[in-house]
Amino acid sequence: MTIYESDLPGVGKKYEVELEDGERLIIVTHNTGKREIYKKDEEGADSEKVFEMSDRLARKVGTILEGAYFQPVQSDRVETMLTGETFIEWYNLDPASVLVGQTIAEAQIRERTGVSIVAIQRGEEVLAAPGPETTFAADDTLVVVGDRDDCRDFESLVGGDGGR
Amino acid sequence: MAAETHLVDVGALFAVAAIAGLLASRIDQSVIPFYIIAGMLSGPYVLGTLDLPALLGTGVLPHGEALALDGQSEFIHLGAELGIVFLLFFLGLEFNLERLLASRHDIGRAGSVDLVINFGAGLLLGFVLFESLLAALLVAGIVYISSSAIITKSLIDLGWIANDEANPLLGTLVYEDLFIAIYLAVVSALVLGGGDVGEALGSIGIAIGFILALLILVQFGTAWFQRSLETDSNEFLVLRALGILVLIAGAALALGVSEAVAAFFVGMAFSATDHVHDLEQLLEPVRDVFAAIFFFWIGLETNPQLFAGVAGLIAVAVIVTTPTKLLSGYLGGRIYDLDERRSLRVGLGMTTRGEFSLIIASIAVAGAGGALSDSIATDIYAFAVGYVLVMSILGTTFMQYADRIEAVLVPRLEARSGAVSSSD
Repeated sequence: MTIYESDLPGVGKKYEVELEDGERLIIVTHNTGKREIYKKDEEGADSEKVFEMSDRLARKVGTILEGAYFQPVQSDRVETMLTGETFIEWYNLDPASVLVGQTIAEAQIRERTGVSIVAIQRGEEVLAAPGPETTFAADDTLVVVGDRDDCRDFESLVGGDGGR
Repeated sequence: MAAETHLVDVGALFAVAAIAGLLASRIDQSVIPFYIIAGMLSGPYVLGTLDLPALLGTGVLPHGEALALDGQSEFIHLGAELGIVFLLFFLGLEFNLERLLASRHDIGRAGSVDLVINFGAGLLLGFVLFESLLAALLVAGIVYISSSAIITKSLIDLGWIANDEANPLLGTLVYEDLFIAIYLAVVSALVLGGGDVGEALGSIGIAIGFILALLILVQFGTAWFQRSLETDSNEFLVLRALGILVLIAGAALALGVSEAVAAFFVGMAFSATDHVHDLEQLLEPVRDVFAAIFFFWIGLETNPQLFAGVAGLIAVAVIVTTPTKLLSGYLGGRIYDLDERRSLRVGLGMTTRGEFSLIIASIAVAGAGGALSDSIATDIYAFAVGYVLVMSILGTTFMQYADRIEAVLVPRLEARSGAVSSSD
């Protein structure tokens, strides 16, 4: 991630940010406070102005980019509501959980909690629609679908003190 | 001449300048030539010669003389002087010695190429045209100095500011600005010091002494300048800044030193403080108002009939000094490792001449009857105004149509440099 900074005497400052695909984002900060955002397709290309902002607006946008209002978090528990009643949830399997080492069938997930396991994320790979013979491993991320109570029951299973 | 200005005259001045500005922005041109032309039309040489009652066949409007604005009037003349002071003050304010030293390698080389080619060509041209060394020195300054104001504005308007060509353009302008500060000090001493060499040397001595004093003030007075503007009130900040700036510039003028140079150094002194940003924001409209009066005044003082006498000189200067700037700008771009297309753009951008050439012209007029003969001073003035009118419009047009010019020239430049590199 390279950022080039240069002075523009009489105008302000220029920051050139290399993006991942060779494009460049250029921010011209004027002494007047105005910000101009330009985009370049590649290093030698002409800059195209994308938009300009006042000082106040630029600071606002800056804080949004910084994540002051909403920081994307990868928490242990992300919940997404499919309908008013059904949730899709992600759980990290605690290494101390009773589930580790069991297959989905042995653990009787559906019978004990009511949720369906729709995918298991293990490191880089994703096991979609895992069959009953799939074995749980420590630190799996389990993607399940169920109503609120079912999900809560399941949560106690995957935690360290699950099922006791 | 009448030294009295009525409120209605000042109102007319602003109204005409505002209309000129509106016209300029409608056709995407620089405002400077329009202010000058507006001044010319409202002045004693155009409006002042119109016998309106006879033309209109009614006595509704008096004879033009009664309506024409007068460049000799105290208010307009002082306004113009303040315009010069503010223009140079901002130059100093933007001028950051540390920044210049940090990129001295590129700026120094590109700026020196620009200086040698254009100032050299100007000296030769001035000497051929006016056969006087002092006149040659004035013409050299007029054709050398590009217009920071117009070029910077065009860069922003066209979006070039985000491209690589902005760096050599703005860098070279910084070099020119520093050179012109020193040049103005020397030349105004020569011009105002009369024709006598001993006297001129004396006034150059005073000028250099004054500049040294200012430099010491800049170097060691930063803390004082910093404290001088410590206030939360915009009103006090503006008043104090003006108090310091105009007082020092006025004192310089009273001592026979260029007020422009003094203003430049005051700007430089403030550039090292934390107030730069506030000063720029608060004083920018003030600068623009007085700069507009300055350009307007230049027009008022210009008799368009004089252009007929210097039209040949202007044509020669345009023909000679357009290619020199294109060449020096192109070479400057190459020094910054830009490709042919962008280097050519640097040349196209640098072609524009403007406010500083006019400041030099106003110095020439001040020296009329002393160091310069009346006729040469008048000629240089008319030459400078006509030259700036042509070059400001030409340079702005060059930048606007850069794409088309590039389409024609870049393949040739590439072919040439390709031929050079393959023969290496």
